[in-house]
Amino acid sequence: MNVQAEKWPVARKANKGSKIKEDKATIVFNVIGYTLLTVISLVCLIPFWLIVAGSFTDEMEIISEGFKLFPHTISFEAYKSVFTTPEQIYRAYGVTIGVTAAGSLLGLLLTSMAGYVLSRKDFMYRNNLSFFIYFTTLFSGGLIPWYIMMTKYLGLKDSYWALILPPLVSAWNIILMRNFMKSIPDSVIESAKIDGAGDFLIYRRIILPLSTPGLATIGLFLALGYWNDWFNANVFITSDNKYPLQFLLYKILSSAAVLRTQTGAYLAANVVPPAETLKMAVAVVATGPIILLYPFVQKYFVKGLTIGAVKG
Amino acid sequence: MFKTKKRLSLLLVLSLMISLLAACGGGTASNSPGSQGAEKSANGEGGAAEPKLEKVKLSWYLVGDAHKDQSKIVAEWNKMLERDLNTTVDLKFTTWNDWKTKYNLLLTSGEKIDMIFASSWADFYKLSKQGAFLDLKDLLPEYAPTTWGNVPEEDWDSVTVGGGIYAVPNTNPEYTPLGYVYREDWRKEFGLPEFTDLDSIEAYLDAVKTQKKVIPINGAAYENVNSLYKFWNDFQLIGGDVIGATSYDNPRDIQILPYTEEFEAWVKRMKTWEQKGYWNKNALSSNQEAGDFIKTGQGAIYWRNPSSAGGFINEVKAKNLNMEIGFFPFTRFHNYVIPTLPSSNAMAIPKSSANPERSLMVLDKLRNDPEYFNLMTYGIEGTHWAKGEDDKTILIPAPGVNLDETPRYSITSWGWRYEPNMKNEKGGWDGLDALKEEFSPISKPDIFGPIYLDYAPVKAELAAVNQVFEQYGKPLMLGLTSDVDASLQTYRDKLKTAGVDKLLEYIQEEANKYFDEKGIQ
Repeated sequence: MNVQAEKWPVARKANKGSKIKEDKATIVFNVIGYTLLTVISLVCLIPFWLIVAGSFTDEMEIISEGFKLFPHTISFEAYKSVFTTPEQIYRAYGVTIGVTAAGSLLGLLLTSMAGYVLSRKDFMYRNNLSFFIYFTTLFSGGLIPWYIMMTKYLGLKDSYWALILPPLVSAWNIILMRNFMKSIPDSVIESAKIDGAGDFLIYRRIILPLSTPGLATIGLFLALGYWNDWFNANVFITSDNKYPLQFLLYKILSSAAVLRTQTGAYLAANVVPPAETLKMAVAVVATGPIILLYPFVQKYFVKGLTIGAVKG
Repeated sequence: MFKTKKRLSLLLVLSLMISLLAACGGGTASNSPGSQGAEKSANGEGGAAEPKLEKVKLSWYLVGDAHKDQSKIVAEWNKMLERDLNTTVDLKFTTWNDWKTKYNLLLTSGEKIDMIFASSWADFYKLSKQGAFLDLKDLLPEYAPTTWGNVPEEDWDSVTVGGGIYAVPNTNPEYTPLGYVYREDWRKEFGLPEFTDLDSIEAYLDAVKTQKKVIPINGAAYENVNSLYKFWNDFQLIGGDVIGATSYDNPRDIQILPYTEEFEAWVKRMKTWEQKGYWNKNALSSNQEAGDFIKTGQGAIYWRNPSSAGGFINEVKAKNLNMEIGFFPFTRFHNYVIPTLPSSNAMAIPKSSANPERSLMVLDKLRNDPEYFNLMTYGIEGTHWAKGEDDKTILIPAPGVNLDETPRYSITSWGWRYEPNMKNEKGGWDGLDALKEEFSPISKPDIFGPIYLDYAPVKAELAAVNQVFEQYGKPLMLGLTSDVDASLQTYRDKLKTAGVDKLLEYIQEEANKYFDEKGIQ
């Protein structure tokens, strides 16, 4: 994906060049540039293609001849296994999208507020508080106390909150945000104060717009974290209508894996799901929407990461 | 004006979002304290009033996945339970995702669970020693009288840890010795005799390699060779891959197996097998099961136990692959078989249970009442199965049911299996019954499985020895080293420096403790 981001400036330069007169060096540069970038983007695309092609290959063909870019026999067996209960997959998509949206927005709000407060030099205990936050990255209670805390004292077993809360605010993100906001000159804040702005107004009207690159980065981290999270669901969610997508897909894979082991023999399934192609199909189902979405969202990321320089 | 409007709408959206989230979680949050309170009060009265049972809601956990129609089946079950025992059960599943972590969390966190699947392969002995389960000795005769009566004495023994009975084992004698599934049609084509010993297997492998030009053990070969090694030499491994008893009849003769002459002879022979090309150079790193290559016609041998061999043979039949598959159990080398420990599939009550008495009553019903048993083990009659020609046979799928829409009902019902209630599926592999008949007269009890090892004093040595085993032992077993004598010497030396002697001492001590307790010489 980075490759594409790099491609644009080159393309634009080429356009401009054609209006003026192209000298030989530019043409050579363009030819080299285009061929190199084409090769690199192909290299980036091939693994994706291999996954897609693999998911449509016949299981037996993969075993006997390995993965191929263009399979001989097309088979939909893997997708049949994934979509044995389609309504469950759609439901899981809904859960994942909901949790990702709610979690990332809420997380961004909290992280940016925390980061802003800690970045203000007139906040007296900022260093102590930072250390307090930082401390949690070094030491943690461990899995069992965490589990007991979540289920017994917070009552979050089998609740959507169990999916949203744990990844919501991370110390690392707060520190990142604080450092980013530190780079905003104090004078901007001071001048706003002189104009009569309160703390929340400064935060909302001055700090947030100036930190869009930081927000975009952390928003991306959060969203990816939520989208890919299966562990919280594994530990806390018991009813199957609350399964997020990744957990459900993982479940399909691990059931297929268990069926191939000795334990699986008891389960008496005469039809063993296609394990190799199933993995590929699951990857396609999990990443597909994100890849389709990416071209549309990408420009915001690029914008967010390039503008935002402090102007006076 | 405009600004305030914008701000207001933002506020509105935010508050909406928050209330939405709150609504999602609120339901469960407000539910749980209420139900807990109800449980507690029910418990208080339930024990006292025997004849008329108070209403109780139990929470049960099984490993593995739920079936698509699970809620329907559990609803049906709850109707019956409510009628007979005034109880409902909330049946939950761990799923197979990282299930061990989850299983241990459930038990260590003290969550209220009234019954859970337990097994020797899910750390039953360790967990009972640590006090995760309730001692059922005094409860069983009163609350599960039928089960108490029909589980054999020695089965209770296998779930007895330090004088307490910590689980209700399943009662369904099973034999799961390893063996080879192989291309029987090829054997007939070569005109070779049936397998009886190592030489006959070698002759077959050789014919496959030279006449069919097929690598007989294609893909991952290690377990295929390792299982043959254990059964051929009659080694009874105890806790790991290096130390074990030299034979079933001499359980106290526990040795470091790589130091034995048998091991030396074995690895030398395996070197010749490797040179003849019975498996690939990448046999250790391959992730492909040897069995998958049989299905594509590129392999001939695959290690399985009888029931998974049955699954394999059924699959080959279902896919209409034009081949005949045979099964050779390694038990024929030494003519005895060790049945699966009854504790390998059991149901246990965690310490945290609020209603152990009621939970046992439900289990007693589930195991022994065919109505309950059939529903929870095979699903709804007419949907997931149908009656066969006699009481012991069932048809799957039921007539008029499409397996693609209604997959076969197979949850981890292993913990409550009770032989007289079990049914056979029509059209299954008939070899399984023949093997059962072959095995029952030559059965000998498992005296090695229950030896409890936690390795506390020898943790470092264990890790080092396992490391050496992975690095030197596995390649040696498959003959993947250039000089067998030299690498055997290295393997033995490395084991010594890793502290294998200390490990041996520990295992001997623990094993002798167990043998003394059970009076085994």
